[in-house]
Amino acid sequence: MIRTSGTALLVIASLWAWAVFEAPVDAMQGSIQKILYVHVPCAIGAYLGFLTTALCGALYLRSSDARYDRAAISAAEVGVVFCSLNIASGPIWARGTWGHWWTWDPRLTVTLLLWFVYLAYLLLRAFTDGSERSARFAAVYGLLGAAAIPLNYFAIQLFGGAAMHPENLRRGSLGEGMGLPFALGMVAAAAAFLHLLLLRIDLEGRRAELARALADARDQ
Amino acid sequence: MNAFLAVLWKDLLCEWRSRDRLVAMLVFSALVVVVFHFALPGGAGAQTRANAPGLLWVATVFAALLGLGRAFAIELENDALAGLALAPVERGWIFLGKWAANVVILALVQGVPSLVFAIVFEVDLLPVLWPFAGISLLGSVGLCAIGTLAAAVAVRTRFRELLLPLLVLPLLWPVLSGAVRGTAELLEAGSLSFEPVQLLLVTDATYLILSFLTFEYVLDE
Amino acid sequence: MSAPAIAAHGLEKRFGWAVALAGVDLVVPPGAALAVLGPNGAGKSTLLRLLAGLARPSAGSVEIDGLRAQGREARAKVGLIGHETFLYPALTARENLVFAGRLHDVPDPGPRADRLLAEAGLSGVADRPVGGFSRGMAQRVAIARGLVHDPPVVLLDEPFTGLDRRSASRLSERLGALRSERRTFLLATHDLASALRLVDSAIVLARGRIAHRSEPGALDLESLDAALAAADAP
Repeated sequence: MIRTSGTALLVIASLWAWAVFEAPVDAMQGSIQKILYVHVPCAIGAYLGFLTTALCGALYLRSSDARYDRAAISAAEVGVVFCSLNIASGPIWARGTWGHWWTWDPRLTVTLLLWFVYLAYLLLRAFTDGSERSARFAAVYGLLGAAAIPLNYFAIQLFGGAAMHPENLRRGSLGEGMGLPFALGMVAAAAAFLHLLLLRIDLEGRRAELARALADARDQ
Repeated sequence: MNAFLAVLWKDLLCEWRSRDRLVAMLVFSALVVVVFHFALPGGAGAQTRANAPGLLWVATVFAALLGLGRAFAIELENDALAGLALAPVERGWIFLGKWAANVVILALVQGVPSLVFAIVFEVDLLPVLWPFAGISLLGSVGLCAIGTLAAAVAVRTRFRELLLPLLVLPLLWPVLSGAVRGTAELLEAGSLSFEPVQLLLVTDATYLILSFLTFEYVLDE
Repeated sequence: MSAPAIAAHGLEKRFGWAVALAGVDLVVPPGAALAVLGPNGAGKSTLLRLLAGLARPSAGSVEIDGLRAQGREARAKVGLIGHETFLYPALTARENLVFAGRLHDVPDPGPRADRLLAEAGLSGVADRPVGGFSRGMAQRVAIARGLVHDPPVVLLDEPFTGLDRRSASRLSERLGALRSERRTFLLATHDLASALRLVDSAIVLARGRIAHRSEPGALDLESLDAALAAADAP
């Protein structure tokens, strides 16, 4: 399973890299615009990550099956990386095009809030003693955090907010030749997320096995 | 339902006997409002007055976090939390009892910083008093919903005082957005549009329902 | 045939990497009185808390009167008197009992609290905050609290800890009275002598497993002593 996803990732990522390289340089923004081919797909990873965490958490609460919890922590760790990349790449692009590092643009704000939720989730796990309690508390918090995402978007919708975020995901406003790298970027992000997730789950599974073996040995 | 009323009564009674939460929250929140006034350049200038609702809510959040931590600390003595977990009821009702007690206490506290705020920032609250109280209540409901759940979780971890704000603040944006926006509208235009109320109602309902349903798992050992 | 009062099959409980219970099989018929003996860390408290529905097992199952112990219906049938009293120091003895009664859906908690306090000999201090009570007095309120909903199954976790002689003998009397009320009860304790007077069977826990079970109807002090010594050994 890991080998398949790894191979798929390699193929898609290569295609994506080629497409980004071949894509036309934006007339107004210059070549820094190409960082968007990283920035936007990372958002996919960030949100996929948290939704997976929340879903696996809910399944863990219902079944008490530790495998769901391993998937949840893995998704959180992989997702937070994508989220961090997204938040880091945004300002790089903004500085290059508009001259300032940060704006309280709604979409960026919401992703920043997601990042804080990730952080709180990971800290909660770290500070709770006992793997079973830690898993349970984290699952509960994951659900609340996941509910916060649509609520945040609802808040943006109601109050508008400075729309500095380029609405470039709609087909009409995308420049010539930019559709392909964007589409490939989304797929590449999903593939990367999946591959990293599987790797991380595997690692977590081995850790659990090791711990079990150690505990059994101590018992004898 | 019985359990909800029992927990509400018990929490309010315990608080009445000691009054420590109430006093601490009152003094703290009033102090924060005054400190903001001094810390901001220009005193009661127009720019500051535009930001004032936000400042009031920040003071409220800090005071609430103080009180929420205490709400579950009292359950740790004599392992009273286990006593609650033993009850043969849907544990969500226990959550609601504690949430309701927190809302009542926060509501009692909010009067004072609001008053200090009105004086210090030279804002006239009287014409909009009832809608202002309404928005404050809606905001407190949401704040206490996440706060009560987070406090129940944080109280059984290491560094509980540190973890509580860490857990609550990232989830608070929809509540703060709606409450601050609503308060600002009231102070500027004297009337309230539907959007902030709508946001607060949806957020409060979502957080309350989710917390009710998941509290079962929080009280397990 | 009615369901056993308590039934545990393959019960396991892990806290992180530490194994508290490593497979416990136990069946207790209604009306029986069982002592749960064993050194510190053997898993006695964990077992009782699992029976009371406070925690979920990591593996295996536990049932009270045929019902899942983690469910609400089962919790209504169990009274736990633990290490800690579960009392609120700021509230009076009566208020604590009324609160517990309301939590457990007791129809008329006020009079019930008064009656329980009278039985415990605490009517005089019913309206004093529990925070000021001695260990022995608090223990008596805690027992009343555990019995407020008249549970058919009563679990006691080391109730003799920290009690002086008079309080301990008072407690023994109380437990003897419980016994004659035909409730099922489990008594986890270090104090072998007091326990043996009150129960009709015993198990010895060691490192999360049942190391020794007494023969039904025959409490053999010597073999229990030996089993305990073996359990104590590293």
